[in-house]
Amino acid sequence: MTAVPGDQLASADVVGRLTPQEVEAVAGSRGLAPEDLEIRLRADASSRRAVLALFAVAIGWLLVGSIFGDIASIKLHTPEFLTNHAWLTFGRVRTAHLHAVNYGWGTAALIGMSLWLMPRLVHSELKGARFAIVGAVLFTIGVAIGVVAVLAGYSDGMEWLEAPRWVAGPFLVIGGGLIGLSLFRTVISRQSEHLYVSVWYILGAFIWFPMLYVVGKWPTYNGVESAAANWFFAHNVLGFWLTAMSLGGAYYFIPKVLGRPIYSYQLSIVGFWSLAMFYSLNGMHHLVGGPLPTWMITTSIVASVFMFIPVAATAINLHMTVVGRFGAMRYSPTLRFVVIGGLAYTAVSLQGSFTALREVNRVTHFTHWTVAHSHVGGYAFVTFLAFGAMYYIVPRLLEREWPSERLIRWHFNLALGGVALYVVALSWAGVVQGLALLDPSLPFEESVRRTIPGLWGRSLAGLILTAAHFIFAYHFWLMVRRPERAVRVRPPFHDARPVLYTTRAEAGRR
Amino acid sequence: MKMSGDFMARSSLVALGAFAIMASAITILVVIPKIMLRQVQAMPELQPYTEEQLRGRQVYIQNGCLYCHSQQIRDPAFTTDVDRGWGSRPTVPEDYVYDRPHLLGTMRTGPDLINVGQRIPSEDWHLLHLYDPRALVAWSTMPAFPFLFEEKSPEEVGENDRVVPTSGPRAKEGITVVAKPDALALVAYLISLDRQYPVADSLRATDQVVVGTRGGMGDGP
Amino acid sequence: MLPTSLLVALATVAMTLIPALVLFWAWRKGLFHDLDGQSRVIFDERDLRVKRPWESDVEQLEREVTYGPAEPARPGEWGGADRGGAR
Repeated sequence: MTAVPGDQLASADVVGRLTPQEVEAVAGSRGLAPEDLEIRLRADASSRRAVLALFAVAIGWLLVGSIFGDIASIKLHTPEFLTNHAWLTFGRVRTAHLHAVNYGWGTAALIGMSLWLMPRLVHSELKGARFAIVGAVLFTIGVAIGVVAVLAGYSDGMEWLEAPRWVAGPFLVIGGGLIGLSLFRTVISRQSEHLYVSVWYILGAFIWFPMLYVVGKWPTYNGVESAAANWFFAHNVLGFWLTAMSLGGAYYFIPKVLGRPIYSYQLSIVGFWSLAMFYSLNGMHHLVGGPLPTWMITTSIVASVFMFIPVAATAINLHMTVVGRFGAMRYSPTLRFVVIGGLAYTAVSLQGSFTALREVNRVTHFTHWTVAHSHVGGYAFVTFLAFGAMYYIVPRLLEREWPSERLIRWHFNLALGGVALYVVALSWAGVVQGLALLDPSLPFEESVRRTIPGLWGRSLAGLILTAAHFIFAYHFWLMVRRPERAVRVRPPFHDARPVLYTTRAEAGRR
Repeated sequence: MKMSGDFMARSSLVALGAFAIMASAITILVVIPKIMLRQVQAMPELQPYTEEQLRGRQVYIQNGCLYCHSQQIRDPAFTTDVDRGWGSRPTVPEDYVYDRPHLLGTMRTGPDLINVGQRIPSEDWHLLHLYDPRALVAWSTMPAFPFLFEEKSPEEVGENDRVVPTSGPRAKEGITVVAKPDALALVAYLISLDRQYPVADSLRATDQVVVGTRGGMGDGP
Repeated sequence: MLPTSLLVALATVAMTLIPALVLFWAWRKGLFHDLDGQSRVIFDERDLRVKRPWESDVEQLEREVTYGPAEPARPGEWGGADRGGAR
């Protein structure tokens, strides 16, 4: 029996034409009660297009963003590189990179994950899936407008918020709103008694991001008020948008693959609410020493240190769930990426807590250290989570496994090696830069000169990561477009009538 | 399709709690400061930006200068910004009243610029530096901005063209470099950056908030 | 003249009190009963029975005893392209 491309799978309506015994048999083979089978099929089928579309878009942004990142990195140690073109000047290409990887790749991938995850978690189907797709398209257009605008020299001027508010804004707001609406409706329509912690994180993310966006894009700030709003947004978009969805994923995929429930559900509750309380007050630690009322900055430093509570809760929880089963990482790419992601989350948060302290900040502020730190979070945590999620979800969308073990291994090794080199090289550069800046007997030239080797290391790392991304993109393309290379998936009772794995044409003939 | 009141309560709970926490944080870190900072007024020595300087500020933003340059001086008791000669005093909220949005910056791949107008008041220097940083600073990793300039043969140079005296790696024989309006605006903005005037008292140092008039400023502890 | 510290203190109290109240209400509403059940909501019955190649024989036996007869993993079950997957 030949494998059938995903988009030719019969819809869940077929279930209605089966005999009760067939339904029971198929349901039993999937470990579902018969009445849940239809729900599950509807859940999976309803999200399929939206999720696949978002994943494809996300991977596209990943490639674009990686290339921008490489260009920007090279310019920092070889400033004459591509310097004649306005649209490629460092100040624009760096911003384009940030937007492409955070709002393009990270956001799209995690939204896709959320749209797949939410129906499963609440045992319902994705409500308003069509709106979700429209929303995804609009949001992507908004991101694209932002990136193109920045390259063309239009910017609203605040870091992380450069996309012109009246042009890109409507697309981002309406697109994001449609997706959020779809998710909320799905939650409300839920069939499950319980509200799993991942639902909280995803729900929270979609409540918080609009609030943050309004604060960040508010048009009437003057002077240093805008700095407070800027870093309130930029820091919290990490914690309450990217991290929130990523943690939602981690709390699902780790127990799910391991077949063990999360170590302590109580701890996960503590983790969620303490994250919300403390993270939200962190933002001003980007402005230590700056021209703002001191109490604001002190509040943020204190909150940053208190962050160790939610971070410890999550770290303990995830570690104790995995402990004794680390060997699973050899068998499961999802686990490989997600567990490393979880470790990176702990690392980046501890790093953050320390760096917020005035004595440490004195050395690291204004240096490459901050950029290295942001990649521990944005790459080793968020991006790895997204990779892990995609490796898990895509086979379930397309009813086939990934074609190549080798490509997965290359992807993982290059990504891990690349990010490790990135963080080490750039953190080192940041520290020597900071120490040089602190020595007034050293001219400014020293702080620049000493970072060059680290910057070369970062460029190399960036190229390695870009290679990993192209490998992943190629593999994704193989998976989606070339079904004959996919493994034949035997349906549960393949000698019986293949009632679910049939083309629409065949189904119509019955 | 069952809709248990319990579940509705639970999910609304999470939603409400999440919203409330974020709203509180926004109040603490954005709304309250905004109210407090309303009373901040510029010192008489600080003039609002002229139109050309504002246009230059836009050029600064558009080309991402803020991703390598900061515009803030920190307390000399805390760190070495003042020792480096970037300013004689820490900057305060009053210095940024006309800045919309702020350009405080988070990286010092290049030096701090809040007082660059006082440090380097020469238009020629800034123009050449933008055209080719390495003509003036050999070790600089700043990108060149040749697209802010036009390269003309000497006959093409008009009467009103602002010619940039060139030297260094990019200087070419028989080519005259002329600044475009954007370059001139940017330089005008850079030269306007001077916050060296004294500031007697500042909101940053005080722990008081005055709701309403400015009257309380300088009275505080 | 309101000292800033007072405003901040009040806001922080509000910010602590509100989640505390929310959590109290949650507890009264029964959100914290059966936390074990909540942590299992992500599993299908089958998930807990699937044979996992990284588990030792003892662990697999424990799994069988607790959850029932073992099931083979499907290709791609763990997110990969399984070595020796059906081809």
